[in-house]
Amino acid sequence: MKESTEIVTPGTPLGYKTEFQVGEGTYIRDEFVYASLIGEKRIIKGEDGEVDNIKLPTITVIGTQLPPIIPDVGSVVIGQVSRINSKQATVNIMVVNDKPCKDNFIGVIRVQDVRATEIDKVQINKNFRPGDIIKAQVISLGDSKSYYLSTAKNELGVIMAQSIAGETMIPISWIEMQCPKTLVIENRKCAKPSFD
Amino acid sequence: MNMDRKRINGPEMSVRPVIEAEFQPQLSNVLIDSNLQRKDNRNSDQIRPIFIKPNLIPQANGSAYIELGDTKLVVSVFGPRQNKRMAFSPSGQLTCEFKFSTFACEQRRGHIRDNEEKDISQLILAALVPAIKLENYPKSLIDIYITVLENGGTQSCLAAGITASSVALATAGIEMLDLVAASSGGFFENNKFLLDCNREEERFQQGYLVIATMPSFKSSTHLVQVGDVDLNTSKQALETAVDSTYNIYSIMNLCLKQQLE
Repeated sequence: MKESTEIVTPGTPLGYKTEFQVGEGTYIRDEFVYASLIGEKRIIKGEDGEVDNIKLPTITVIGTQLPPIIPDVGSVVIGQVSRINSKQATVNIMVVNDKPCKDNFIGVIRVQDVRATEIDKVQINKNFRPGDIIKAQVISLGDSKSYYLSTAKNELGVIMAQSIAGETMIPISWIEMQCPKTLVIENRKCAKPSFD
Repeated sequence: MNMDRKRINGPEMSVRPVIEAEFQPQLSNVLIDSNLQRKDNRNSDQIRPIFIKPNLIPQANGSAYIELGDTKLVVSVFGPRQNKRMAFSPSGQLTCEFKFSTFACEQRRGHIRDNEEKDISQLILAALVPAIKLENYPKSLIDIYITVLENGGTQSCLAAGITASSVALATAGIEMLDLVAASSGGFFENNKFLLDCNREEERFQQGYLVIATMPSFKSSTHLVQVGDVDLNTSKQALETAVDSTYNIYSIMNLCLKQQLE
């Protein structure tokens, strides 16, 4: 349920902290809940039915801007491989949790994060090539330049790749893709297709 | 002088023409007349007309334009975006670049930022950092770019820059504790304090004051005071400037809400 529409700006007191739970776009300081974004104030009521578990209503501010898209630990990202070497593959992150980023973020898939089995036998150039579109998961904020990504799940890996001939390849197994034109088979760490 | 290989080079040195009217003696003691009015019909504790317009640059994540009398400046905010140059930090980083346009001041300024502009950038940064929840943006960079189109007083450019920057950050969707409102003034002979000095008045001032506050919490984020002033005058000046920031704060809120309706 939602109540009242009111536009608030950062620093506007919204209510006492004993009356509301803090939601998105708000914060507590001293005894008040304040807004931290410009937007519409909304109060989401808790469940009224249970006498013992009376929940305080949650107060949120729906920002006018879309919230900035930043990769976080656990996010599923889609990116393009830009560089590979024997120890890691560098990825330009383009989509975070199904939302495109405005700015590219740089991620890295290390050789030990490519798959969950036979970690010591992984070769990067048999799993990724520059230009491949991959799906990965953020496992760490990483170092100063890049996030650490992992493709060690069945749903993660290469989702689109081009063959040497320039055609989009079709995955035919967990580790192989085939060019529909020349029928050449190339090695990739393929993602399990999802049909949402 | 060094040749700048990235620009068209004009003469090595140039001096602006001297206008004959400037030889007239300045009436320096007539800052305030007998009715306690200034030359532009203001009281000592009155600011110039103010105009704020958020969201006017489409390429920027957030932007604002502010006019404070003759002072005109534009602020754009980019970010949060990836931090590629600085070291790793678990919270966001804020940077500020303040620049007078070459045509902004009476004396033409160069294209390269000089020391005064770098100092003002640092002051604006120091005023804004306490108000932003940087811990929400790990490893990210938020860039603020301020361009002064017309300089109607250097201290008022600093104050207007802080005010417009917080409006631009709010329109960019950056989470903040509060907006930051700033105000400036100057100290004159006989322990007088005038709020929001323009360019003419600034020539005769013996000191100045710039304060930035978060009005919801009645706390100050930054204070700059220069000059030799006695304690009582300093206290009164501070109170006058803080009251002025509360008025500016209501204008900021009004402009931000208006753009949503």
